[in-house]
Amino acid sequence: MRFVLEFDNVTKEYHSFVSKRRLRALDGFSLTVEAGEIFGFLGPNGAGKSTAIHLAMGFMRPTSGSGRLLGERFGHPGTRRRVGFLAESVALYHRRAERLVRFYGALNGMGGTDLEHRARQVLEIVGLQDHANRNAGKFSRGMLQRVGLAQAMVNDPELLILDEPTSALDPLARVMVRELLLGARNAGKTVFLSSHLLSEVELVCDRVAVLHRGRLARLARTSDLLQVGEQTEIVVRAIPAKHFDGAVARDGIVSFSVPSHTQRAALEKVWNLGGEVVSVNPLRRSLEEIFLEVTADPKSAASKGVQ
Amino acid sequence: MKPVLLIAINFAREQRWPILTLLLWVLLLAFLGLVTDIHRQREDLLFVFKQDAVYVLAFSVFFGGSAIYNERRSRRILGVLSKAVGRQQYLSGLVLGVTLACAVYCFALGLTGSWTLGSTGFPISHVWFLMVCLVAACMLAGTVALMFSTFLNPFFAAGATAMVLGLPALAGQFVGPQWGYVIPVWELGATVVNSSFSNPGTASWFPVALAGVETLAFWLLSARIFSYVDIAVAVE
Repeated sequence: MRFVLEFDNVTKEYHSFVSKRRLRALDGFSLTVEAGEIFGFLGPNGAGKSTAIHLAMGFMRPTSGSGRLLGERFGHPGTRRRVGFLAESVALYHRRAERLVRFYGALNGMGGTDLEHRARQVLEIVGLQDHANRNAGKFSRGMLQRVGLAQAMVNDPELLILDEPTSALDPLARVMVRELLLGARNAGKTVFLSSHLLSEVELVCDRVAVLHRGRLARLARTSDLLQVGEQTEIVVRAIPAKHFDGAVARDGIVSFSVPSHTQRAALEKVWNLGGEVVSVNPLRRSLEEIFLEVTADPKSAASKGVQ
Repeated sequence: MKPVLLIAINFAREQRWPILTLLLWVLLLAFLGLVTDIHRQREDLLFVFKQDAVYVLAFSVFFGGSAIYNERRSRRILGVLSKAVGRQQYLSGLVLGVTLACAVYCFALGLTGSWTLGSTGFPISHVWFLMVCLVAACMLAGTVALMFSTFLNPFFAAGATAMVLGLPALAGQFVGPQWGYVIPVWELGATVVNSSFSNPGTASWFPVALAGVETLAFWLLSARIFSYVDIAVAVE
């Protein structure tokens, strides 16, 4: 298994220049991201997500610990040629969109017709082909975010590090980004996605880490994280709810959950009562529920440890 | 080298409005050359020429002292340094950008000076030598300001630069003239300011070469300091 991003017991403290106050943004943070996965990086505001990303990109140095990006120590400029990065607050020079994307591509050593072609291609991918000759300084936030995505992809990177890539996008553009991320994974690339949009993360990410107060509070495969033990949710109709413990009825639809090993007996009971089975699914929680659970009480979250 | 050039050109492009504003002073010189009797008013023209030369020196400190601060505050620096650009290359780009911005101005001033002063008896070759002195002084002053701007805000960076450039000049005045060459910005500026029709001055390349060497030294120092700076931290 190849790791494209590794944090090894990284601690980052911010110091105030005037007072001697210290703020610990990351505290003994360790994490590995495997090649070819879409990795969701979650956490409340101030949890240390952006700090971790900035350390990986070499924008700052860890107070202690170390890390590797595509096999090289954090901050190695040559490695960044293989990385696409989109910052949380997109800030770009006031230039025509196509020239801007070409500028960032050229900084990565690209040039000639390849760069021209690629710049047009990525602008088309993000839906800005009709605005390629407009000044990015006059773009809306959503459009700026699209140009930001285009400049991140211009070098066809192995690893995409995206900090809140959809925060300013409309639902249509979010679907576009989702498809783009899935397409990148299918092409063998890795995506490290920091986002507050939990529904997006739930849909696209293979694994998820939740960061809380600078520590890793939860790390698991998304499917494992969302599944609730060995419980199955059964949805039926045409029977009264009173026959099953904890069943909830709404508009003639009855739903209840049972231990997975008793689901067959439960289904036979439904049929014997003359009911109709609508669906049978492993009981899942939403990522939002897990996020709230992990971040609500730091002590209980820490006691659950890292999976 | 390509990223350095791209950053330099981009920096000069971002400074186009201050540069264009500065060029208005050169236009003033050209305007005076057009509307006055330049042979009778040549001392006044030389005064305006020197004044214009001093302005660009001040602007080089302004350019250098605010470059990193502005880029960090706007967070545009993250976009550049997320590419395959080392911090040394980034600083080199800014030094070259400051020099380029000042060189554009000096070229315009040289052209106008050659026409106005050259036609009234001032040696044209010496006008261009003075412009080379000016560009060298701007390059060094801008690099010193840039070094301070890696860890100070523009106001303090400009103050610290004034101290570093001014102290050798003061020592040169009161202790001994050799002290003026410690950081030769003042000496190079004085070459321009002290030139006259009766005595244009001698073309000594020593301070120009010294400025080049010291620019390199301050650039190395800047790169060392900048390599430890957390650039993603808010600057306010």
